[in-house]
Amino acid sequence: MQSFGKTCSKIFAAHIVFPRVLFPIAVLAAGCCLAMPVVADNNVALRETAQRLAERVAGIPGMRGALRLEWHPDAKWSEGESNRWQEILRGEFEKRSLSLTEDAGAPALDVFAAETPTQVVLTAKARVSERDEIRIVAAARALLPPASLPAAPIRLERQLIYESPDRILDVSSLGNGTEAGLALVLYRNFEILALRVDLRGVVKQSVSLNPANLKPSRDPRAEMSVRGSALSVELLGKSCEFSWELPAEVRCRVEKPAAGEKSAWREETLLTSPCDGSNWKLFSSGGEANARGVLQVVPDGALRESSAAVLSEFPGPILGTNGEQSASSALVIAQNLRTGNYEIYKITLACGN
Amino acid sequence: MRFTKLRWLAAISAAIVALICFDALAATPRYGGTLHVKLRASSASLDPREWTPGSLSSGASEKLASLVYDRLVTLDNYAKFQPALATEWSHDATSRIWQFKLRSGVRFSDGSLLTPTDAVASLQATLGKGFEVTVTEIGLAVRAAHPAPDMLEQLASGRNFVFRRRSDGTLLGTGPFYVAESVAAAPSEANPTAIKPAKLKFQANEGTWSGRPFVDSVEVILGEPPLRQLLDLQVGKAEIAEIAPDLVRKGRQEGLRIWSSAPRTLVGLRFDDAFAAPASDQLREALWLALDRETMANVLLQREAQPADSLLPQWLSGYAFLFESPMNLQRARELRAGFPAGGPGATQPLRLRVDAPGDLFKLMGERVAVNARQANLLVQAALPVSGSNSPAPAVGLHLFAWHYDSLSPHAELGAFVKQLLDAGDLPANTTDPDQLFGQERRLLEERRILPLVLLPEYAGVRTNVHNWNASPWGDWRLADVWLDSEDAMPPKAPAGPQKNGSAAPNPGARP
Repeated sequence: MQSFGKTCSKIFAAHIVFPRVLFPIAVLAAGCCLAMPVVADNNVALRETAQRLAERVAGIPGMRGALRLEWHPDAKWSEGESNRWQEILRGEFEKRSLSLTEDAGAPALDVFAAETPTQVVLTAKARVSERDEIRIVAAARALLPPASLPAAPIRLERQLIYESPDRILDVSSLGNGTEAGLALVLYRNFEILALRVDLRGVVKQSVSLNPANLKPSRDPRAEMSVRGSALSVELLGKSCEFSWELPAEVRCRVEKPAAGEKSAWREETLLTSPCDGSNWKLFSSGGEANARGVLQVVPDGALRESSAAVLSEFPGPILGTNGEQSASSALVIAQNLRTGNYEIYKITLACGN
Repeated sequence: MRFTKLRWLAAISAAIVALICFDALAATPRYGGTLHVKLRASSASLDPREWTPGSLSSGASEKLASLVYDRLVTLDNYAKFQPALATEWSHDATSRIWQFKLRSGVRFSDGSLLTPTDAVASLQATLGKGFEVTVTEIGLAVRAAHPAPDMLEQLASGRNFVFRRRSDGTLLGTGPFYVAESVAAAPSEANPTAIKPAKLKFQANEGTWSGRPFVDSVEVILGEPPLRQLLDLQVGKAEIAEIAPDLVRKGRQEGLRIWSSAPRTLVGLRFDDAFAAPASDQLREALWLALDRETMANVLLQREAQPADSLLPQWLSGYAFLFESPMNLQRARELRAGFPAGGPGATQPLRLRVDAPGDLFKLMGERVAVNARQANLLVQAALPVSGSNSPAPAVGLHLFAWHYDSLSPHAELGAFVKQLLDAGDLPANTTDPDQLFGQERRLLEERRILPLVLLPEYAGVRTNVHNWNASPWGDWRLADVWLDSEDAMPPKAPAGPQKNGSAAPNPGARP
């Protein structure tokens, strides 16, 4: 949304009153931006922030000679995130003829990074002519690249395959060849959407499930089943069907679960080991919205507390799992507590360690 | 070998912890039940126009108002602004003109439709001077007198809620709850010398655009004694209760689940105008050097507070670490030696009034007097004069508590300066952090305001409260909380849509 705001700012300069014609275009553009996978390179804002700081530091009167860069990243940052900033800052300082040295005797140029609720604030502090010179710049955190993910524990191979700022309710893998990709059900701006994305994460099709006329919920749920190009989506008290070929024809009907009937929601996902053909069940922790989720892979037939269980920690709560086309892999939806984004991981059972 | 054993032990412990967690996970949110909440403030207002910026009661009022009203946008825990009553927004190249598209079909708790006029009227009243809010074809526009790149931060915090004023003066909201009952504080029938605290009951708004809250109702009791609140939490009479900083350690020792926010309150000293002149520079500097903030935070407040060196906290400005307030008694005494005989702080005591309510702040005032005495400065507590016709003696120094209301550091410092120093607006360019830092540094170097400590908010949360996902800056988000108490209903889909204008009679939103 913020990038939408920035994009529109130039249009705005010429049209002080928001034009009726431009608004739908802008809304469409915003929709496209939201639908794009976030995995794309977005070091631009980071580099631009580093440039502004370097320019301000280079403009300090009397700033001469080699400086020793002392980097103080935000305590919450991962090593990868910290290193990325440091590398870019170093490059921007050097581009402005500020020579940096490792010499411990050289005067220090301290650069601090701190996160506020909305910004990353970069502060440079240097001692010049017996006084402290301080320069500060800030950038919107939402525009900066997401934090690098913590390393996955071993024994389960895990790969991040899609990321979205919108809440992902369910995911399923789609066929092979040119049609290969993912089908997703999202909760965006209090509406439910079905999306078809290709293997590169590019949105190929988006279908609104508005015909279901659902009331907004604080616990939105959806579960889909894919049969060729047909998709059926189970929602809270409703069931909708449509085909990717005729996306305008979404048919929904009310479904009233019988009293005492067990939950209609997907309860377990089964994986088959490629090593010995044994079956394994997936269980996920996910009681609290602000806790990291742990995926537990347990031999089929064994208790969940089985000592043979394999554990894999995710960067946030696990919201759902679904089987994949290959029997040894599955898709896991988790929210990343660092970025707030919803992420889809492909997990695969691997032999040995 | 020993190391290997330890690793095994650690692995087994981790597995046990993980398995315990798995038991709790079946966790499907449940609808139903009443959430009992106890707040420390003795009064609160649900009319955002009445809130005094920076007052402690404004914090409690904002918590309650967020149950009843919505904002145009909200800020999530990941630095992203999320659409609320506004579904889209944009701004011009200078960030002076902001356009918001209003969500359609949103209804107030009485079933009437939200219109752009409602949003304009409420935001014009809360944003105040310097902003012109007008109706547009798509919703509303906010025109700022100066560039306002922090517009979204401002709209996502403080008193910038959207409401409708009814002809009887009550306010209506579109939020997840509405006020069902409001009982003002009154003398207790059993013991007229005791005060029965104010009580508010909020009922779930079935037709809210954002989805029915999980709990059926929220009962809030205001201003009970801190120890009583802690006890009520322990015995299950409250699910969530604010905890005074000096009781946090006790709560932890007794095994309560305690949540804390980023520092929300600044406790500091403010010199009166009479001591603002250069003639009092040495007095202000000497007191600044005499203050022992570490002891206040670590001993008096049992490490549940942080020494404060700045006006804005680090979590809000990002640069507060650049300020330092080193204690230097030697230098303070040297300055004191140069005071004119008979002047304030020397033989004539400097009178300190504690403006913040509660015993904790009185204790801090006493601590300030002790620190001052160590530098041979005479500071005396100004007691409130009652039942006397003689005028109260002039006060030179105030101990204040400032509650951070805004997510915009520029707006917060502006409100601070206006409210506490009775000064005009900050320069427009202080939305730039470099300029804001310079402005704050100038204010601190004047030494008219001497920061003492920063206090976070603390709340005890019982274990049957789920999905407690409060923001670091203190937004409790109670509509997302659910209870697993026995009286909660089994999972169900939210109730069906309400017919237009057919909502249950609603007594409005003003206590």
